[in-house]
Amino acid sequence: MEIRPILSSLMRNKTGPILVALQVALSLAILANALHIVGERRAAAARPSGIADEHAVFTINISHLRGDGPEQDLANQNREIATLRAVPGVVSVANVGQLPMSNSGWNTTVAVERSQTRESAVASTYSVADSVVQAWGLVLAEGRDFSAAEYVDIPMGSRDTPRAVMLTRALAARLWPNQATVGKTLYIGMGEDAMGIPVVGVVERLQDHNANIGERGEMSIIVPRREYGAGGATYTVRAAPGQRERVIRDAEDALRKASGDPVILHTRTIDELRAARYRADVALSWTLVVVSVLLLLITAGGIVGMASLWVNQRRKQIGVRRALGARKRDIVRYFITENVLITSAGVFGGVLLGIGLNQLLVNRLEMERLPLGYLAGGAVVLWALGIAAAYGPAWRAAGISPALATRSA
Amino acid sequence: MFGYYFKLGVRSLRRNPVLTTLMVLTLAIGVAASVSTLTILHMMSGDPIPQKSTRLFAPVLDNRPAENYDPGHERPDDQLTYIDVVNLLKSGQGVRRTGMYGIAAVIEPPDKQIEPFWTEGMAPTRDFFAMFDVPFVYGGPWSEADDARGADVVVLSREMAEKLFGDANPIGRQVRLLDAPFTVIGVIGAWSPQPRYYQLQSGRKFGVNEDLFIPLASAIRHKSSHNGGMSCSARSDPGFEGILRSECTWLQFWFETASSADRADLQAWLDNYAADQRRLGRMKRNAPNELYDVPEWLVHMKVVGKDNKLSAWLAFGFLALCLVNTIGLLLAKFSVRASEVGIRRALGASRTDIFRQFLTESAVIGLAGGVLGLLLAFGALALLSLQSSAMAAVARMDLAMLAFTFALSVLAALVAGLLPTWRACQVTPALQLKSQ
Repeated sequence: MEIRPILSSLMRNKTGPILVALQVALSLAILANALHIVGERRAAAARPSGIADEHAVFTINISHLRGDGPEQDLANQNREIATLRAVPGVVSVANVGQLPMSNSGWNTTVAVERSQTRESAVASTYSVADSVVQAWGLVLAEGRDFSAAEYVDIPMGSRDTPRAVMLTRALAARLWPNQATVGKTLYIGMGEDAMGIPVVGVVERLQDHNANIGERGEMSIIVPRREYGAGGATYTVRAAPGQRERVIRDAEDALRKASGDPVILHTRTIDELRAARYRADVALSWTLVVVSVLLLLITAGGIVGMASLWVNQRRKQIGVRRALGARKRDIVRYFITENVLITSAGVFGGVLLGIGLNQLLVNRLEMERLPLGYLAGGAVVLWALGIAAAYGPAWRAAGISPALATRSA
Repeated sequence: MFGYYFKLGVRSLRRNPVLTTLMVLTLAIGVAASVSTLTILHMMSGDPIPQKSTRLFAPVLDNRPAENYDPGHERPDDQLTYIDVVNLLKSGQGVRRTGMYGIAAVIEPPDKQIEPFWTEGMAPTRDFFAMFDVPFVYGGPWSEADDARGADVVVLSREMAEKLFGDANPIGRQVRLLDAPFTVIGVIGAWSPQPRYYQLQSGRKFGVNEDLFIPLASAIRHKSSHNGGMSCSARSDPGFEGILRSECTWLQFWFETASSADRADLQAWLDNYAADQRRLGRMKRNAPNELYDVPEWLVHMKVVGKDNKLSAWLAFGFLALCLVNTIGLLLAKFSVRASEVGIRRALGASRTDIFRQFLTESAVIGLAGGVLGLLLAFGALALLSLQSSAMAAVARMDLAMLAFTFALSVLAALVAGLLPTWRACQVTPALQLKSQ
């Protein structure tokens, strides 16, 4: 196939081809960046929280309307956990201070030396009164879970130093890179006031309460301590497989019955927390997917429109070529080749434009750099789209009768 | 002549239905995408209190320890300590001032049929209502005396009042709140500024409706915990009293001045105040003390999210694509009418006449695209509203955006029509007539 005559005819009438190439370039630039963002958001939303089999876990927050002092509150909490354990289908229960992905919780600064003036990291602090290694199915990477003697009850606001601490593997690697972590002392706070706590275990993963993006989201510590006196508590419950909904109903009933005073229960499943945490990301992903599809449809429409126009304009020339011996497939091949040439020019421009657009997003909106794979994938899609869109008009061109050449326009 | 060209344009819509539909659709989709993302940006960056936004000031003080201070690279916490809020309230600066924090509290309705439930609201001082132009349906704000003694009085939102007391005027009735009886002294009307500029620190910026308001002193007296973040730079003594005396920041504050020109005085007073505190052993960093008026505060608190900007940018890229597409389609449409142009030119029409006629025709297409685009934009915004109450509060089109939609659509069509129209003008009448 001769490319020269196609090129020279393209050069003679530049406007149409330039418009199509420009459309392809814009499509590719937007498509690659949009899909990149979709991929990023999907990946963020799919990150594990550290909780094994999230579908089986839920939490109940209980608030007592009549506060009868801290001691009564402690008695309430002890009764409530026993009540929950007795509910059939409950695998494990823990009294916890906060939950992953809940957007509500405590951060604390941690250090490896008392004398530090700047913190080593900011860690999300899970205060727990029972084993979350069991309730959440956390994976121990090093050391052990807390022993029964390490759990302490403290009145709200007092600052007793916890007897032990566990941390996530990411935090351990940040504080003590390439060293054994168990046995080290972790300092909460800095200076005179800092509390030194022995590290007894490292868990594989437990996201912070905001499920932040990046390293920050993996920085958590767990301390065996229960604060009482707030007039309420939060319990996290793992139900037997497939029984979550029934266990939630039974657990709520049991707690209401067991309480002497009016209570308000607020139950959320981990699935709900996850959905709420990533709602905006999922919505943005879907918006971008819809925009991408529309983008491709419009580009395809543009190519079909322009190709049809060219076929119409060249009816006579096609007739002449056919009369001079060109076969139908030669005509089809001509139009497809022409289209591939234009699309290629557009793809070339689109790669540059896509990188430029990404640069703008990186600089102005602190987005991630665009992996070239997205551009390559987008280029393939647009090439295929171009050929598919040009095929119809090209086939109609091939159907033009050679006799047309003999007629005067 | 314009009227005639307009009529011709409308008639020409029907001449080449497939091409026309494609053009109108393309324009409409491009316009809808840009308008819906822009509507959200527009609503997010709107001025929530235009009549006095440059007379309201939020102070920010840096009270953290001097040890690890890195000047120029640190952003102080956007909230204040209880100590500072009490001092600023006593300052007498500005014409009004209010200190506050967000609360979450269980309400026990007087009607025992209704189960107790959680509510969210604010615990400000009396000036809050006048400063932020809060309208009242019944009653009014509490008195200064109520502020001073921390009276158990409550101002309810209209929805909350109706939920608790039905349609009756609830002034003087009692509800149980924070385990104590509170007397209803006011019911506010519709008031939900977007964004929620007076309290952005909790991160809830849009679509928040306060259920109730109680005096700051009352919330403190009942040790009501705060509904929001708290940042502590030093160890505090145990208990609620310990937090009140601590350097933990968890409250918000606003000044209202008589005119925006009083800002310098307020800044001078604030600098003085910080210097005084430094002599008492606080605020050792000697960091700059900041004042933000409402527009500056919205920028400082990053009210418009990155995702919203991103969507708008991509949408305008999309509109550019639609524009290029429309240029191509218009070229196709106009090119088949070369003979018509030839005849008109031969009969005496000037190039300017042809230019006007074809550009008017482009504008007609733009208008049709605008109508359809508006419908699509309404649909897109309705879909986005399903996402969350915050999104529902900002995914609303106002008159300005409505007008903008048509302007954008017609402008886009005119821009797209320029090149094809110019091409049509180049038709040489003699050549065109000869080839017929």
